[in-house]
Amino acid sequence: MALISRLPNKTFRFYSFVVLIAIAGFLVIHSYSRQSEPPSAGGDAKLVSVQPLPEMDAAMCEWVPASARTSLLIWQRDAGPRAAASDVSRVAAAKRPPIRTVGDSYSVFSAVAVDPVRNEVVMTDENLFSILVYDRLENTPPGASLSEPKRMIRGLETMLEFQCSLYVDPANGDIYAVNNDTMNRLVVFSREARGNVPPNRFLETPHTTFGIAVDEKSQELMLTIQDDAAVVTYSKTAKGNDPPLRLIQGDQTQLADPHGIAIDPKKDFVYVSNWGTVNSRRVPAGQPRLAGESGDRLAHENEPLGRIHAVPGSGKFLPPSITVYSRASSGNTPPIQVIQGSQTQLNWPTALAIDPERGELFVANDTGDSIVVFNAAAEGDAAPIRVLKGSKTLIKNPTGVYFDQKNNELWVTNFGNHTAAVFKPTASGDTPPLRVIRSAPLSTPAPMLGNPHVVAFDSKREEILVAT
Amino acid sequence: MAHPQIAAFARLAEGNVKPRRSIAGQNTLITRTIHDLAYDPVRDEIIVPQLFAQAILTFRGGADGDEAPIRILQGPKTQLSDPERLALDPVHGEIFVPAIDRVLVFPRDGQGDVAPIRILEGPDTQLRGEGNVAVDPVHNLLFMNGVARVPGRGRMGQVLVFDRTASGNAKPKAILRGPMTQIDNPYKMVVYPPRKLLLVGIRTEHAASEDSFVGVWSIYDTGNVSPRWTIGGPKGILRQPRGITLDPKNKNVIIADKYLNSVFTFSFPEVF
Repeated sequence: MALISRLPNKTFRFYSFVVLIAIAGFLVIHSYSRQSEPPSAGGDAKLVSVQPLPEMDAAMCEWVPASARTSLLIWQRDAGPRAAASDVSRVAAAKRPPIRTVGDSYSVFSAVAVDPVRNEVVMTDENLFSILVYDRLENTPPGASLSEPKRMIRGLETMLEFQCSLYVDPANGDIYAVNNDTMNRLVVFSREARGNVPPNRFLETPHTTFGIAVDEKSQELMLTIQDDAAVVTYSKTAKGNDPPLRLIQGDQTQLADPHGIAIDPKKDFVYVSNWGTVNSRRVPAGQPRLAGESGDRLAHENEPLGRIHAVPGSGKFLPPSITVYSRASSGNTPPIQVIQGSQTQLNWPTALAIDPERGELFVANDTGDSIVVFNAAAEGDAAPIRVLKGSKTLIKNPTGVYFDQKNNELWVTNFGNHTAAVFKPTASGDTPPLRVIRSAPLSTPAPMLGNPHVVAFDSKREEILVAT
Repeated sequence: MAHPQIAAFARLAEGNVKPRRSIAGQNTLITRTIHDLAYDPVRDEIIVPQLFAQAILTFRGGADGDEAPIRILQGPKTQLSDPERLALDPVHGEIFVPAIDRVLVFPRDGQGDVAPIRILEGPDTQLRGEGNVAVDPVHNLLFMNGVARVPGRGRMGQVLVFDRTASGNAKPKAILRGPMTQIDNPYKMVVYPPRKLLLVGIRTEHAASEDSFVGVWSIYDTGNVSPRWTIGGPKGILRQPRGITLDPKNKNVIIADKYLNSVFTFSFPEVF
């Protein structure tokens, strides 16, 4: 008191202010810690209740400009060197590199198509997000690490990610590449495209397109839509937000998680492979027809009914199938032909190809590790007329298949082992390929991480579970 | 994405490696893209949503190959419409499934056409498409995140915090939102109850941005609060962080990145 009484009034007011600030700071920190961490009800990680946060009866308001935490940060910022060290450690922690990485450093072939005019083969790569173009007769020597592509399209400008199907225009070599579920865009590149270049044009598509087939006679392209169990048809030159010309969708269609699609130009039929899971879609009476993942806009009449129109509890698990339609059909149309049943050996039937002259349908049978070949007129629980499968074939998780009519060859892309393999179309059993293009050194393991969406830790087995 | 699977990699796996096992094939009933998964350490089970068939699938913890699930939740009573994501409360045996502006809660042992045991829904919940969910069974909290349109402030990412047992038209206990949070597009979350921490994956609007990160908050943080720690960003290693999980024994944070098609393990003792 004696000291205080000797201070000038101005100095006294200054020190009083400092003391008040210090007390206020203490109270802020104290109240923060109390609010931030309610008293423990008996230690950590036990099944106990803790003191609930205050009931908020009024409308919930955002704490603007700052919560106690923010006040604390401001206080820390003003507190000098100690806070600065904390910030340094936080920045260093943010920049800390991973101690381990699981991932594939090589291209992984997904879809395949041949340009018979220019004698090239084109493949999509779902791992490094690229399109790779090779000479059609490329054959990676066993001692070589891999085959270098003639051209590569890759980079953020390309809009390429999980391109799961492909079409090459025989007239001009244009490459059509379908994104599955991360971009909602079909991108089209000219044959000259290479590097990190934007597509020459793109078409906004429904979410989860998978397969593409083009009918050159009618100049139309058809896409399968997984989410909506639908097939949409566009003009081949469609771009931007052009709407589909036709739509096949509905319970009668028997479409169920459709994947591959192929057109038989002789019969004018379209074949679709289905993995077998589906739900019903309905527009409630008096409600608008909505499109988009969240139903955020009105749908064009030929856009599929989106998931906003899913009927709760209508989901079904069906056996895998091949369903066949007249190419020009639309609406809730039943298939004219269905291949389905235990004899078919279908197991995640993915890409499809047609040999119209022999009347044969090739199916990339992903988890069957096989190519199953059907008479294109087969119906019901039909057995394949040939099965290409075995260690000599190198077929492992095939996701792409292409019939090269001009050169009478069958191409298979193997998601499971960095290879694309070429066979005679009549090959069956455990037959070695005629040629192989490899994108990685021989026997390089494939993690098969295509869109690692979620991880969990299995503490019992000390394993990282990764769902894609 | 051409080939879905649930792959199990050894904890110490590195680089181009095959998974120890992979759940894939017709009998599994799974399909693309699996947007969520929970491992139940109590029952040693794996729980996965099936969007197209409107179902919740439960597998043995050690399931491998083309193996069928041991339980399926599916049918009209479930009210499941587009189950993309879920969270498991292994302590109380409950599965939380977001459904646009609702959260459906099911018993873990539910089999077949089972009705939810409670539903969180209504205007006061402020649920408007919050897609990601996490549960803290110790402190009895439920976290939902998404992007909200805030009057006068546009689009803002947020984390809504509810009582774990909230039902009906319950209000959130707290909202984590605002420029200091840097929560732009929040994605997967995970809770670490022993340290009372919440980890949230944050993506920026720009595709594959090096500014994406995983932020760490207290489970009691509310309002416009900076993350206590960040992993990645700005100009960091993460581009599009998706799944996050924890290995407490080894003090590791494990993060999946979609753009890099990779799974990263970070040593991050600060969280444990």
